[in-house]
Amino acid sequence: MESIPRSKAMTAVLAACLVSVAVAETKKEYRYSVGANPVVSVETQYGGISVKPGDDNEVWVVATRQSDKTEVDDQQIGDRIEIVSHLFEGADQQSGRIDYEVRVPSNATLSLRSSTGPLSVERLHGDLSVEGTDAAVDIRDVSNGHVHVNTMRGPVTLTNIRNGHVEIASITGNIAMKSVTGPLVKANSGAGKISYDGDFGTGGEYKFTTHSGNIVAIVPAGTSADFSAHSMLGKVQHDFPLQPRHSRETFQPGSAFFGTVGKADSAVVLRSFSGRIRLKQH
Amino acid sequence: MTCSDVRRVLPGIVDGEAGADFQAHLKDCPACSELVGDLRLIASEAGKLAEADEPPARVWVGIANQLRAEGIIRESNADPARPVLVPAPARRWKAWWLAPVAAAILAAGSYQLAHYKQSAPAPQEARQTATQPPAPTQQAVESKVESAIESKKDAAQMAGKASSPVNPTARVAENHNPPVRAMAKKSEPAEDEDTVAATGQNLQAETSLPPSAPASADDEQFLSEVSQRAPGMRLTFENQLRAVNAEIRETQEYIKRHPGDVDARQHLMEAYQQKAMLYQLALDRVQ
Repeated sequence: MESIPRSKAMTAVLAACLVSVAVAETKKEYRYSVGANPVVSVETQYGGISVKPGDDNEVWVVATRQSDKTEVDDQQIGDRIEIVSHLFEGADQQSGRIDYEVRVPSNATLSLRSSTGPLSVERLHGDLSVEGTDAAVDIRDVSNGHVHVNTMRGPVTLTNIRNGHVEIASITGNIAMKSVTGPLVKANSGAGKISYDGDFGTGGEYKFTTHSGNIVAIVPAGTSADFSAHSMLGKVQHDFPLQPRHSRETFQPGSAFFGTVGKADSAVVLRSFSGRIRLKQH
Repeated sequence: MTCSDVRRVLPGIVDGEAGADFQAHLKDCPACSELVGDLRLIASEAGKLAEADEPPARVWVGIANQLRAEGIIRESNADPARPVLVPAPARRWKAWWLAPVAAAILAAGSYQLAHYKQSAPAPQEARQTATQPPAPTQQAVESKVESAIESKKDAAQMAGKASSPVNPTARVAENHNPPVRAMAKKSEPAEDEDTVAATGQNLQAETSLPPSAPASADDEQFLSEVSQRAPGMRLTFENQLRAVNAEIRETQEYIKRHPGDVDARQHLMEAYQQKAMLYQLALDRVQ
């Protein structure tokens, strides 16, 4: 068998060394012991944050830096943990990126911020505050906590959120909700679209508002809700019969509808300045 | 009295404390006259909203007692029964309601006073159809200042390039997010866009630049701060600011034609809240 020429072997070794230097991706792990109700705050200018449940008395964080132009500043004061990405001179969106993978007790209170994202949270029961500029936000399987989300144009997706106060606001980002129920669910987007797929639960208040974005609600048979929809410049439409309900105000035909289905357990208010509002059934 | 003096005394005009100089200035200055008209409209409509939600008298008595206990208010020498800083309950509630609205109107008014070039439009017909396009005079003003804004943007971008590394990803992100669509030209979306994707895939709202308008002094200062601290974000925030200002302007125009529309006033408040959220997002991100 011919031996590999020495020059080729040296070239391969040199190339591997250069690649490893160029990537310069480093991971660092952080562990914090916490009590019953920890408060965890993670903030990064560039990069994603993913949070899942972990051990009951520990917060575990893995930070992946893309270059040496960043560092992670962390501090723990009792049960409060703060993690902040710090960018050095010359760091840009690529070199300044730090991604976080986080594991927290399921009842932890979370605060997440990122310009680029993505931001994802799943299977937690504590209060959440999520803020992003362009970050796509994905929250799923969360219950019994307050969920606050603010984005500038990042899309927001909520899936299977139960029994909590939900308040979402975006300037131009779309908001998609699937199986989101609770005593209070508010969603507001200026130019983005709001879509809801679910039965609006029992006894909650739901208010979806846009300026120019469309609002679409898709409900199953058996939904029990009181619907109030009005678009000042857009059209409104419901694809299944509603029990008419009197409204004190008068509106132009096709710009509003008021009615109930079932026992009207939940109150659903749909408002848009110039967007279209549509109520559909599976 | 100058336009700057008008801005300074604006909060007082709600209670009718404007003097002769003020009235005389309004007669000669269409921009200030329009601004004052907007403020009075909001004040009167806010009062109607407030009456439905006014708390019971015991609440105000309790607040007054607490303020006295903390030494924040004192009895006036002229009227010992009337604390100095506590107005009449009905007007106090209206003043509280007006605080955030007035702040936003002042911000809008600043830009109008700084950049308004043309005379006030002719009085509008009652109950105009809502789908009518904006008055031509406003479009002419907007087209004149759009070139000024573009030149400022170019200058800011040049400054940004000189002071920070090139950020190609940010430019790519801008290209993937076309500017905000003009509000009056809304098209019907395709049927399949109505469905909610179970996997959570979520397209960004298609956007094209809204009709441009002169930026207020506060907006210019805000964008200047963003340019200095995060030049790569300037264009993003400027586009979003334009979108929000367009929403505010559009809603204000609608309220002028339909002053009794409660939903419209609520939309205006939400638009102001969106603008406040944009400012807050910038403060949180620009470090």
